[in-house]
Amino acid sequence: MSLNLSLAQHPHRQQQQFSSLDDKPQFPGASAEFIDKLEFIQPNVISGIPIYRVMDRQGQIINPSEDPHLPKEKVLKLYKSMTLLNTMDRILYESQRQGRISFYMTNYGEEGTHVGSAAALDNTDLVFGQYREAGVLMYRDYPLELFMAQCYGNISDLGKGRQMPVHYGCKERHFVTISSPLATQIPQAVGAAYAAKRANANRVVICYFGEGAASEGDAHAGFNFAATLECPIIFFCRNNGYAISTPTSEQYRGDGIAARGPGYGIMSIRVDGNDVFAVYNATKEARRRAVAENQPFLIEAMTYRIGHHSTSDDSSAYRSVDEVNYWDKQDHPISRLRHYLLSQGWWDEEQEKAWRKQSRKKVMEAFEQAERKPKPNPNLLFSDVYQEMPAQLRKQQESLARHLQTYGEHYPLEHFDK
Amino acid sequence: MAVVAAAAGWLLRLRAAGAEGHWRRFRGVGLARGFLHPSATVEDAAQRRQVAHFTFQPDPEPREYGQTQKMNLFQSVTSALDNSLAKDPTAVIFGEDVAFGGVFRCTVGLRDKYGKDRVFNTPLCEQGIVGFGIGIAVTGATAIAEIQFADYIFPAFDQIVNEAAKYRYRSGDLFNCGSLTIRSPWGCVGHGALYHSQSPEAFFAHCPGIKGLPLLPRTECSGVITAHGTLNLLGSAEQVPIEPYNIPLSQAEVIQEGSDVTLVAWGTQVHVIREVASMAKEKLGVSCEVIDLRTIIPWDVDTVCKSVIKTGRLLISHEAPLTGGFASEISSTVQEECFLNLEAPISRVCGYDTPFPHIFEPFYIPDKWKCYDALRKMINY
Repeated sequence: MSLNLSLAQHPHRQQQQFSSLDDKPQFPGASAEFIDKLEFIQPNVISGIPIYRVMDRQGQIINPSEDPHLPKEKVLKLYKSMTLLNTMDRILYESQRQGRISFYMTNYGEEGTHVGSAAALDNTDLVFGQYREAGVLMYRDYPLELFMAQCYGNISDLGKGRQMPVHYGCKERHFVTISSPLATQIPQAVGAAYAAKRANANRVVICYFGEGAASEGDAHAGFNFAATLECPIIFFCRNNGYAISTPTSEQYRGDGIAARGPGYGIMSIRVDGNDVFAVYNATKEARRRAVAENQPFLIEAMTYRIGHHSTSDDSSAYRSVDEVNYWDKQDHPISRLRHYLLSQGWWDEEQEKAWRKQSRKKVMEAFEQAERKPKPNPNLLFSDVYQEMPAQLRKQQESLARHLQTYGEHYPLEHFDK
Repeated sequence: MAVVAAAAGWLLRLRAAGAEGHWRRFRGVGLARGFLHPSATVEDAAQRRQVAHFTFQPDPEPREYGQTQKMNLFQSVTSALDNSLAKDPTAVIFGEDVAFGGVFRCTVGLRDKYGKDRVFNTPLCEQGIVGFGIGIAVTGATAIAEIQFADYIFPAFDQIVNEAAKYRYRSGDLFNCGSLTIRSPWGCVGHGALYHSQSPEAFFAHCPGIKGLPLLPRTECSGVITAHGTLNLLGSAEQVPIEPYNIPLSQAEVIQEGSDVTLVAWGTQVHVIREVASMAKEKLGVSCEVIDLRTIIPWDVDTVCKSVIKTGRLLISHEAPLTGGFASEISSTVQEECFLNLEAPISRVCGYDTPFPHIFEPFYIPDKWKCYDALRKMINY
């Protein structure tokens, strides 16, 4: 009888040589010893995976050997990205309330997860996001004009006005366009990472998602594929405590998302998401090793969603104002970094005031301009369904054009590009 | 803008093929609890900025089901769910965010009233929600699953099509999940774009073994399964019977009789064609027969054909894209049954064959002007 066995020569998996002579387990499915005592493994949720942090809540470095010693310019960029994002969020949230844009999602409290990770990547690393990672784009210098253009769906929108606000995308900055369905980006990101590996691109793919999205089947698929196919990917989970109204206690019963990583054979870590340096350090090291070793990394960044889920949500219906205020006042990524900047002597109240004024002015200008611009030509409703427009669709496009000739007065044509 | 402006709700009632008869619909008791927002008046709805692309006309108060109360769509749904849980101790409601009342406020107050083991959140996983619901139903208990937006039903497509729909058939009727209902809002809301606007009924129409109802636009909104398709979910209110009552499944309703053209739609679009019927009368002197199809699978072939035999002209309208949309099924059947009665080709006024766009929504939707124009062409054929 010939047995055709291929033993995996994977650096991360030790599979025993098959031998019928030993009284050792020969199962192909696991590499383990026998035990003769009946014992269930107790999931450890009381004392879970510890949370890596560099700064305390007052922005002081705890362990100097963990200080990334980022240069002043870089730290200021981190700070300004977060605060500019915060300012933009306030103004655009308000603009939705006023009926100027149809919808908005803020990033309050999670700015640290965005910029800390973005700062640790190369500019060409590919980003797959969920919908609450605008700070990654902000850090990559996506102009305010384009944020606004997408939210307004105006003629400058790279996405051609097709998606709801905050569904950004930017090919130039390697940020794949957002889609609303949750976790769909996870297996996609893994595929992209695999292709990057084959292309020897020296590129990592980073995939962001929330702790709620991690419950989707697509998350399981993504994790398992990344591990088995040895993909250079960073899975970055923003655990912000809520999925709309659903608290983490109803989302999972294990030790968060980080504890799932080892179950897939994935290197995992939990970090303080409100500590920009912790996020930075973890992402930096994960990136280095993911590319060098072609294996996935899972970073679970603990944070808190200070804002509502979106403009369609009023979170006072399911959580207390006190809870929200705690995070806003006592543990905010922007405050903590500001304390650090102040203690370094790299920032002061004067500069803070001036920057607030300046950033508000920049946002307002972009906002006013975006509002004045027309919407794209309605013909763009029909393009990009395929690369080449099929004949059937061209007919539909023509029928709309004819319809508008007769009934145009009933349509908001004055707001659209001719 | 109305932040919770809701889409037409659509409900899949999974039942054994062959299950007949009346389907219990429940009307609300307990609405005087005060946990529901006061229903807005029709006038309030009209004042909202550009929320609806049609003029809402409330139905006349139904007389045959007893006392009524003014409710808007989500209140009707809550009321129906309330009744379901009251009458059936095995019934449970679950899905994402249903515990606090749901993103469309359809389950407000129910957890407090019936307990957390009966109204509960699940983890964020549509395939899990439906699979779990099937399991509950297999034991004979009543499962009411919510999918937050119909656009997100696709991870559950396998469980619905391959499992739920085929349970009875494949087991030789040993097992079934007939007591599973899946509720999900569908249809456009004004700014929902690709993923908060879809009308996926055609995908499920193609699946033997399930029953599907779009929301009823009128007072019979009831029961576990229905929701009324209207943009003014919060705004438009009608008189709705309080006590539980039945209306038959799979029966379309002729909501307005006419002689020249048959107009067929379901969900929110019924409001649109109703307005088109008024426009046709006023501008063209044309008399339209307006049919609310009510059920997609199975659909009421007889009522539609009877109407077309009378009028000779048929216009079907839905938001879903034209190609492969449910209008094509209706059109195909009607031309088989009523070929010699037709005075003009059957007209379909539907969404374009593109994803549902955000900023272009006013141009995308099969609005009253497109329907009116198609009607005019049919008359002049």
